[in-house]
Amino acid sequence: MITAGIDMGTQSIKVVIIKDGKILSRGQAFSGFEPTKAAEQAFMEALKKAKLSRDDVEHITATGAGADMAPYSDSTISVMGADAQAGAYFFPSARTVIDIGAEEARAVRCDEKGTMLDFVVNERCAAGAGTFIEAMARALEVKLEEMGPLSLKAERASPINATCVIFGESDVITLIHRQESKPEIARAIFDAMADRISSMVHRLGINPNVVLIGGVAKDVGFVAALKRKLGTDLLIPEEPEFAGALGAALNAAKRIGESKE
Amino acid sequence: MKSNDERKYIPEISQKEIEELRNTIKAASIKVMTENIERMKKTSTNRPEAMQYFDEISNFFGQREKEIREAKEGGKKVIGYNCMFAPIELILAADAIPVRVGSGWYDASKLGDRIVPVEVCPIIRSTIGAKMIGLSPYLELSDAIISPLTCDGMTKLSEILADYKPIWTMCTPRVKDDPQSMIFWRKEINALKGKIEDLTGVKITGKRLRSAIELRQRATKAFRRLQDIRKGSPVIMGRDAMLVNQTSMWDDIKRWTEKTEELCDELEKRVGQKIWACPPDTPRVIVTGTPMIWPDNWKLPNLIEESNPPGILIADELCSSDRLLYDPVGVDEWIMDDMINAVAERYLMTSTCPCFTSKDGNEDRINWLVDKIKEFKIHGVIYYVVRGCILYAMEYTRIKRILDRMNVPVYYLDTEYTREDVGQMKTRVEAFLEMLQARVEI
Amino acid sequence: MALELIGDILRLTVFAGLALAGILVILIWIRNLTRNVTYLRFFIQAVSVIAIFYLFTLPSWLLIFVGVIFLMTIVTGRFFCGWICPFGLYIDLITQLRKAFKIRYRNLPEKLNRALNKLRYVILVFFLILPFLLGPIEPWQWPLALFLTGPFKPITVLLGPLEPLIIPWKGGLEFYGLDVSYPYVSDIIFYSSGIFVWINVFVFIALTVVSSFIVRRFWCRFCPTGASIAIVNRFRGFKWAPVLHINKDEEKCTKCGICKRVCPLQVTEVYEQKGGKIMTSMCMLCFRCVEMCPYEDCLKAKMAGKTVFKSRNWLGPSKIE
Repeated sequence: MITAGIDMGTQSIKVVIIKDGKILSRGQAFSGFEPTKAAEQAFMEALKKAKLSRDDVEHITATGAGADMAPYSDSTISVMGADAQAGAYFFPSARTVIDIGAEEARAVRCDEKGTMLDFVVNERCAAGAGTFIEAMARALEVKLEEMGPLSLKAERASPINATCVIFGESDVITLIHRQESKPEIARAIFDAMADRISSMVHRLGINPNVVLIGGVAKDVGFVAALKRKLGTDLLIPEEPEFAGALGAALNAAKRIGESKE
Repeated sequence: MKSNDERKYIPEISQKEIEELRNTIKAASIKVMTENIERMKKTSTNRPEAMQYFDEISNFFGQREKEIREAKEGGKKVIGYNCMFAPIELILAADAIPVRVGSGWYDASKLGDRIVPVEVCPIIRSTIGAKMIGLSPYLELSDAIISPLTCDGMTKLSEILADYKPIWTMCTPRVKDDPQSMIFWRKEINALKGKIEDLTGVKITGKRLRSAIELRQRATKAFRRLQDIRKGSPVIMGRDAMLVNQTSMWDDIKRWTEKTEELCDELEKRVGQKIWACPPDTPRVIVTGTPMIWPDNWKLPNLIEESNPPGILIADELCSSDRLLYDPVGVDEWIMDDMINAVAERYLMTSTCPCFTSKDGNEDRINWLVDKIKEFKIHGVIYYVVRGCILYAMEYTRIKRILDRMNVPVYYLDTEYTREDVGQMKTRVEAFLEMLQARVEI
Repeated sequence: MALELIGDILRLTVFAGLALAGILVILIWIRNLTRNVTYLRFFIQAVSVIAIFYLFTLPSWLLIFVGVIFLMTIVTGRFFCGWICPFGLYIDLITQLRKAFKIRYRNLPEKLNRALNKLRYVILVFFLILPFLLGPIEPWQWPLALFLTGPFKPITVLLGPLEPLIIPWKGGLEFYGLDVSYPYVSDIIFYSSGIFVWINVFVFIALTVVSSFIVRRFWCRFCPTGASIAIVNRFRGFKWAPVLHINKDEEKCTKCGICKRVCPLQVTEVYEQKGGKIMTSMCMLCFRCVEMCPYEDCLKAKMAGKTVFKSRNWLGPSKIE
């Protein structure tokens, strides 16, 4: 049984095609002004890689903030639900899943079957999400992918404000004027983010088996900071930014299974 | 009305600007009202016929405004009130018209931002904005406004409005159980009674007060009848029932009672014939928190009942809806003294507002909520708070602990008087409803 | 001869009345006519007065009656005070008069009320030792003094409230051939002398009548008979005992305060206690609070675990349950 999941994220669209619980292929495209078109593109890419045609896919589930704009979807599921499914798929012992996207960070509590039990979303501001790192990288005049390794070189950290991206940026400029070194500042940025994420997760109740997914999970600097703040190890799957789409595809498979019963 | 120099807060605005703003916002508001009703009709395809009356009365700028205006011309007085603490029986006994003047317009709150900081409760800002451009017909037609000083926002709002209307403040004691609270509240009620009598020129006699109390008791009976019907499988969508509840804030109480009884008759027939408004296994949600006033605040109820998967708003713990007429005035002896005692007690003691504090931690509200969760077989609670309300926000922790122990999911939703966060809210509400549906299926 | 005839009439009335009362109680139980409890209570009070009339014609039964009442209170609390005591009936009738004249009642401040509640035990003890204070008693006369109707009459002090207004035998006052007696008057006459007889009688009647116009059930708040009944309920060991009691569902209570306000004795325990069986030694089980509570199932009158009636959504039941 072949199903697909489309994650209509705010920055990029991700597609995953699975067959009988195994990942066949992935596709990605930037959202831009025309997310529906971008989604089509990503889907076609995934189909080509899997050497399948549109009709081979039995059920498509869309997720993400723009789920209503998916070009083809037979059903939708919330991002939190998809995250819970993906977390349980990768690590069956997982009970907490943290998903850091471009604009929003979420934490989900799940059981071993991947059912979502509770969730919490970061409120009000993007200071706990991917855009924060991008804005800070700009302020430091560093490339986005260099931020992580840079921060690992720091020996200590100076705290910065993380209530707001705007305030955070002006704090960074203050630190630059104080002639703090770039590694220190980079580390401070990740610490601030991890702080916000950690207090969000505490509202949910921490369970030692924590999974981290979403694009930001690839950033080594952030992962190190979050491990420090939470005090636990983090389980990170490969290609974590596709976890949402994978969760949607798993949900699609579940729906077919239920309708057959 | 004071001159521009004497006014304390609201600055000079040109008449042209006032007219422009009023017309724009009024047009937008009418659009929102019509749209909401259309959406309610779409979701519930076999909407009860009796709802038509409520649809018409819910229009702020329609029939009811005309009626009140005509009554005023005929010599009757209109007394507005900001909050549920105002004793409506006294207003009715003096042959005046009671109307609630809380504002539910999103666009008006942006005008209020010019005067007070954005951190202030949006309902207050919206009321200020509405006053600035004369938007609310009920606020404009009021001859006086009763302003219970329940929270900081209300306290300062009464100053701002005092430039335009006679404001009768009522200091509400923050502790219910002390004997001196009831003594003080009784004195406030007496003082208010005098003011109402002076304004209207009508002496509130025992006979008049008795008929006013009995009128409201009958309204409570119809009100409870509607809530009882909602306990079973859903025959009426939550938004429809909420509209019925809200119209009681400004409609003629006698007529409202009759129409609600008609609605209940129709609904009871449907129960007998098992005509449901939505599938009986739809997740049942209760909303608790800050007041949600028509029309713009239909944002959340719309999301709950139209999302995918849909839920149904089966009850609520809001002072703009299911709490309005819930408690009757219980009179022991129909003597003036006992009637006034009964009225005073009903408005102070039954309130579940978090503006009270007690060593047991506002047990009134918790008992009310827990009782409703059990009786209405609620699956999930949405804790709705408008940004700036400290009282409701602070009580969340306590309520969450209790609901966690009862294994009832609760989700904290904070929002503003803005339409822009609908997208964000949608994802959260949908995730919550998904969670509830999974639990229902288990 | 006349006495026997009156006795027969009384007996018939009593039985008829009791039968009717029983039917009414069952009706209330089945049809849950909570709103009509007060009417039923008046009826039973009237029947009790007639019954007591009857009993007073049979002095030997009187002691048994007293014994039964005291034993009963272990299981029914101050039910006697609310439903059977004739003095209570007179006070309630005076209250009806007050209501007809639209005169408002006053509440005693809560602290004073609580102090009075304790004072009644002092009064009770005073009356019990009064005979010992008034004259020397030989030790062998002590049991007589306490339990029998000797020249000391402490027991008639306890029975004071039972004295109906018109007794067809020797009473305190004579009025056109009928002996009229107000509760306790004959005791006052016994313990007073000279001009004080009439002064004391007058003052006593005036106090009790006038106070009932001002404060509801004022006498009952320190009645020695009531105090002696209540003693049993004060001790925690008897928590399990009251079979007839008021029960409260904590979650349904909105703390609206109606029960506290309508209570004639200003009992605050129904309002204050969190839930379950309401324990109070002052409550006379008139059930006015249950009648008036506007939240369905919140207050219940329970007897031996079964609900006799409960508070209603008293503005009318909904047809859908």
